[in-house]
Amino acid sequence: MDRSKQNKYSSNEKKDNGDGGSVLNGHFDGMVKRAAGGPQAPAAESAPHRSTSAVMESWKEERTRSLEDNEMSLPSLAAAYTTILRGLGENPQRQGLLKTPWRAATAMQFFTKGYQEKIIDVLNDAIFDEDHDEMVIVKDIDMFSMCEHHLVPIFGRVHIGYLPNKRVLGLSKLERLTKQIAVAITEALQPTGVGVVIEATHMCMVMRGVQKMNSKTVTSTMLGNFREDPKTRDEFLRLIKS
Amino acid sequence: MSTKVGDIVEEFHTDNKMSTVNNHHETSRKELEDASRLPALETAYTDILRHLGEDTDREGLLRTPLRAAKAIQFLTKGYHETIDDILNNAIFDEDHDEMVIVKDIDMFSLCEHHMVPFFGKVHIGYIPNKKVVGLSKLARIVEIFSRRLQVQERLTKQIAVGISEALQPKGVAVVIEAAHMCMVMRGVQKMNSRTVTSAMLGVYLEDPKTREEFLYLSRHT
Repeated sequence: MDRSKQNKYSSNEKKDNGDGGSVLNGHFDGMVKRAAGGPQAPAAESAPHRSTSAVMESWKEERTRSLEDNEMSLPSLAAAYTTILRGLGENPQRQGLLKTPWRAATAMQFFTKGYQEKIIDVLNDAIFDEDHDEMVIVKDIDMFSMCEHHLVPIFGRVHIGYLPNKRVLGLSKLERLTKQIAVAITEALQPTGVGVVIEATHMCMVMRGVQKMNSKTVTSTMLGNFREDPKTRDEFLRLIKS
Repeated sequence: MSTKVGDIVEEFHTDNKMSTVNNHHETSRKELEDASRLPALETAYTDILRHLGEDTDREGLLRTPLRAAKAIQFLTKGYHETIDDILNNAIFDEDHDEMVIVKDIDMFSLCEHHMVPFFGKVHIGYIPNKKVVGLSKLARIVEIFSRRLQVQERLTKQIAVGISEALQPKGVAVVIEAAHMCMVMRGVQKMNSRTVTSAMLGVYLEDPKTREEFLYLSRHT
């Protein structure tokens, strides 16, 4: 695994645009920025953690999409899907397709609902002080995403391990983070190490293109102890294998 | 003889209003049209990305509208194809009249209600009546009908009717078992559920023992 790409996950972008602008995709940086109180506050509040800023420097602000945004975009999304149906030679007026643009639009909004969520909201209430310092693993977390290159689903499993440093996370919260996982956990808990392995099937490879039925893509991120100590890493990888 | 499959499908739809609609549905989409339709699809995808709250100028998304447009054209390329095109040379006269089964044919399709993939396996059996077909043609028939916006029930029937019309066999059986991403990734979110549909024609419909033999052989061997 290329260590210099520590902060890259499966299908996320490789480089950001470099400006501090409104690029999103759930990326966030270590800076605490607060907008003037609106419901769409773009701040990704997180503990300013300078020691991880080298890892974080390519994260951008996270803009949350709101439920109002969803409602307002729905007609345009549906119109776009109607165009697509026509462009494929289908007849959008036939019975099976009559409400498809709306259903497809709502489905797509659901598949990208991560934009509506802020990591800090997901985690905040479930961090506990514990004196546990052995590895904690949650594995076989089903994960669904969309490939940003072809807009075709990706699904697979995520395995997470971390070594707590006085703070542990409610286990179900680990399930709700399927992107930027290692960084988010680091931000929230400052553990002594985090390991994340994602193995997924990319439908863009299975249904089209190379059409390899059984191929899986595996990506991993190791931070802290998991990165520096080979034994810790081994133990984690062995435990998630079974 | 080249009656269009669309005509056959018409007979099987109880709702006759669907017939004209289905004819349009079955019209071949020429490949040159694909290229000319690409810009409209690209624009539509750009709109979609923007309205989902994404930034279409970021590096990872710059060419996504084009790629997504080509991808969905690929996933619906079945509209292009007709059975006649792929079968014409591969029907052989044979004196075989025992069951022929091709099973575990991987199938990928798009649900016409959500435009989200569903995929699984197709098992096909037929009893020839003096005419057998090259085996890979059965898989190609699956491709023609599955690479469209589909409903699993209709897909099953179209495959069965397509084979029946091309070969006039004594019977055709098709079973499809699939996972629907629209149920797995959203909605009820049931990870492990599968939908099974079947179509039985000819002796498979009339004779329970034949049907049973097919169902056993396609599942267990």
